[in-house]
Amino acid sequence: MSGKIAVVGAGPSGCYLAQALLKAQPDLELDVIDALPVPYGLVRYGVAADHQGTKAVARQFARVFERQGARFFGNVAVGRDIALDELRDAYDVVVLAAGLAGDRRLGIPGDDLPCIHGAGTLTRALYEHPDAEALPAIGSRPLIVGNGNVAIDLLRLLAKAPDELDGTDLGPGPSDWLARSGIGEITIVGRSPAAQAKFDPVMIKELHKLGGVTIRVVGAGETDDPEGRKRLDALAAIDGHQSGPLLITFRFGLTPVAVEGSDGGAMVRFASSAGEETVECSSVLTAIGFRAAGDLPRDEMIAAAGEGGTGRLAPGLYAAGWFNRGPRGTIPENRADAQALADLILADLSARPAKPGRAVLERHAGVVDYEGWQRIDAAEIAAAAQGRCRAKISDRSELLRLAGDKEAGK
Amino acid sequence: MNITILYGTETGNAEMLAEDIQSELEAEHDVDCMNLSDIELDAFDPGRFYILVCSTYGDGELPASARPFAEKLSAEEPDLSAVRFAIFGMGDSEYEETFNFGPKSLSELMQARGAVQIGERVAHDASGSDMAEDLAFPWAEAVVAEASQVLGEVA
Repeated sequence: MSGKIAVVGAGPSGCYLAQALLKAQPDLELDVIDALPVPYGLVRYGVAADHQGTKAVARQFARVFERQGARFFGNVAVGRDIALDELRDAYDVVVLAAGLAGDRRLGIPGDDLPCIHGAGTLTRALYEHPDAEALPAIGSRPLIVGNGNVAIDLLRLLAKAPDELDGTDLGPGPSDWLARSGIGEITIVGRSPAAQAKFDPVMIKELHKLGGVTIRVVGAGETDDPEGRKRLDALAAIDGHQSGPLLITFRFGLTPVAVEGSDGGAMVRFASSAGEETVECSSVLTAIGFRAAGDLPRDEMIAAAGEGGTGRLAPGLYAAGWFNRGPRGTIPENRADAQALADLILADLSARPAKPGRAVLERHAGVVDYEGWQRIDAAEIAAAAQGRCRAKISDRSELLRLAGDKEAGK
Repeated sequence: MNITILYGTETGNAEMLAEDIQSELEAEHDVDCMNLSDIELDAFDPGRFYILVCSTYGDGELPASARPFAEKLSAEEPDLSAVRFAIFGMGDSEYEETFNFGPKSLSELMQARGAVQIGERVAHDASGSDMAEDLAFPWAEAVVAEASQVLGEVA
């Protein structure tokens, strides 16, 4: 059985889905579309620069294009360059795996102050996403709000000395920004008690390797829950770690209620079981989840589908990964989800040979194909500076030029 | 020789390597490749050589697809004394305290049930500069050569 499937979004969920679909049905005509000229989404722009091992899944995704026969259509924004309806008309199945690009806001008075920065916005800038804003001034005492792995990644990056970034792909601009940041103190607060925090314990234990910090854990509390126990044990293992002057303080059970600007940055008012408390900081970095942002009306589509999150939005239209489930789950969880969704799609699939498929994409100007990405990839690896594994190109026009330059990398 | 490659995976990296080892050995051997989550304990065949490929996940834990197998080994305590296996590990030295704990504990579980390990347990480091297959292919050739002697003597 053949069929034409378009996967919108070349991040981990889209690539795992393509992998699972083609493993089950190798003769599918499967195209992976991305708004960026480069594939792999959060593997490239979200996974921390100092977690290169986690990025190794990209080798699997490369196989999807190199051996399993998927085609890459980069630099095509569905909803802008091509309408979703047009795509659905052309393919038997369209799967939306476009992720959640926006930062969830605090939703409290003052949450639009200029000293507040979302983790996604900041991460895109650190990891040189083509659409990133400039890296902001965050001052010497940033406050991180949030206790998930994204918050811990951000904390660790901000706390690292330049020599602790060897082997990463952090670019010269962001490396310089970090080196000059002058951060003396980072406080990280979570709304939940420590035992219910969302981070993985291994992410906390990793902080023990930081070479220039002093870590304090305040008010971690107690628990009877074995999973919670692991979190508390991890926190206990780093509490008191002293390898340098940058002071890291963990706080828990604090719900932000308002942010006010101040001379030095901001005052954040928190509610806790002990009453109200105000924390002064130079900037507020929020890592409290992500929301839809972009060219597709994601929330309306998910709400209209109802159906308990299976991923089926309408006949021939599905949602995968964070776009479907919301901003929860690690890379392997999205793999398991993608495999289940692939089964559902293939069970539903009835191919209509009259559908034109990728012809509607091929006539689009400026498409970057997989060979184009390979040229970018080779150029980035070849240009890696001392102590770096890659030199990412952030400028979209330069990415497009390299993708189209068949002499590059030869 | 008849070889079964069994993989324990969480992200799919160990599965990919297992399939690569299968392709590499297939020219000269009869090679199956399956997920550890799909093998029954009574399906182990003393006439086959088992190559395990296993990653580490989270805080030194076994990967998702190896966990049900490990639980069965512990619960049912099968006699695997006729089983000969080798094991290749995948880990990430970013997490140095628990580096390659997954394959280590899987190997220990197999040996506790009497299975005999052939060759050294080699570990790939995702944060290192080697490709997993560059380590795994020569290792696989070596353990297969060693196993063919051992299994040949048994037969």
